[in-house]
Amino acid sequence: MSHDTAAYDPAPHYDRITAAWQLLLGDELHYGVFATGDEPLDVATRALTTRMMDGGRLAEPGTDGAPLRVLDVGCGSGAPACDLATETGVEVVGITTSAVGVDTARARAAALGLTGVTFEQRDGTDNRFADAEFDRAWVLESSHLMRDKDALVSECARVLRPGGRLVLCDLVRWREIPFSEVRERRVDFAVLREAFGDAHFQSLDDYAALAAAHGLVVDRSDDLTAATLPTFDRWRANAATHHDEVVELIGVQGHEAFVRSCDILEAFWRDGTFGYGLISATKAS
Amino acid sequence: MGQPAPDPKETQRHMSTSPAAVQQTVVDFLTLTAKMRDDFTPDMPLYAGGVGLDSLETAELSATLEDEHGSDPYSTGEMPQTLNEILAFYAAAPAEA
Repeated sequence: MSHDTAAYDPAPHYDRITAAWQLLLGDELHYGVFATGDEPLDVATRALTTRMMDGGRLAEPGTDGAPLRVLDVGCGSGAPACDLATETGVEVVGITTSAVGVDTARARAAALGLTGVTFEQRDGTDNRFADAEFDRAWVLESSHLMRDKDALVSECARVLRPGGRLVLCDLVRWREIPFSEVRERRVDFAVLREAFGDAHFQSLDDYAALAAAHGLVVDRSDDLTAATLPTFDRWRANAATHHDEVVELIGVQGHEAFVRSCDILEAFWRDGTFGYGLISATKAS
Repeated sequence: MGQPAPDPKETQRHMSTSPAAVQQTVVDFLTLTAKMRDDFTPDMPLYAGGVGLDSLETAELSATLEDEHGSDPYSTGEMPQTLNEILAFYAAAPAEA
């Protein structure tokens, strides 16, 4: 896929699909990590969140006993942020460019009575927070919609205090796709773009290199491609179960594009083109 | 109701490789994909640092040029950087195009 960094605002995409995706992808709005392949989707999505929490070492105490302060970049509908705050006692600031996402996330936190979780409409590639303001930067499956990955990682590194940690998971690209293949398979790629927005995938090595270039020491790089593969079966099942509600929200074409995109992505997963990965890294003290 | 009569101008443009026809195809494509810029010029880079076409959009432009004009520079292995370079391709190979 392309490496250009021309401006792209994913907010309209998220504004359009957030409600439908909660039905299709589950409440956490992200892939699942399956240990056996037989688990329900919510168990698997929870397993990915737990893996991210492990990678971020969120159970560690903060400086001087204060709660860790976590920046959730691309916070979606706020479910992981609320889970983090509830389970580990960290303070979370979730940011997204989507106004609908912010509203949904704030409502979720309010319904749970959480006070240590806030959400703001900001851009992860230019977050405007002060340097060294956070103990953790958490990027769960949002980086593929940010074209300027260098700016994303740079901003995460900038706002981390020395010793702070970045943890990131997302769809990744396992091989270069020549232009001739993009052209040949452009209909498939266009379906993916319609369903999932203007996504651009990097390799796991690319993410690790960006982290290193911005002063972070990478200590974990996990290939989760096989473990996330059953996600597509679950999403297709959700699309069938919630057909009428989803059509009401994003139309027949949107529903069909989502189902078709599951088939296309699954094929890409199986042929070694795309997959899923996680990295974590520490900012040098 | 029968099919509407084809627009003579569209018919004339189809498969023509005149600079005006090719330029119109590119401009129409950029407009359709919301990539057209007010300050667009034939020398503006089509990709990063200019119009901002990504690889998929470039593939779609390639296919559109082939559909409209019978051939396209991308399919010959070239990677024109500007509209002027696309026009140069057709100017250099009018018989094939």
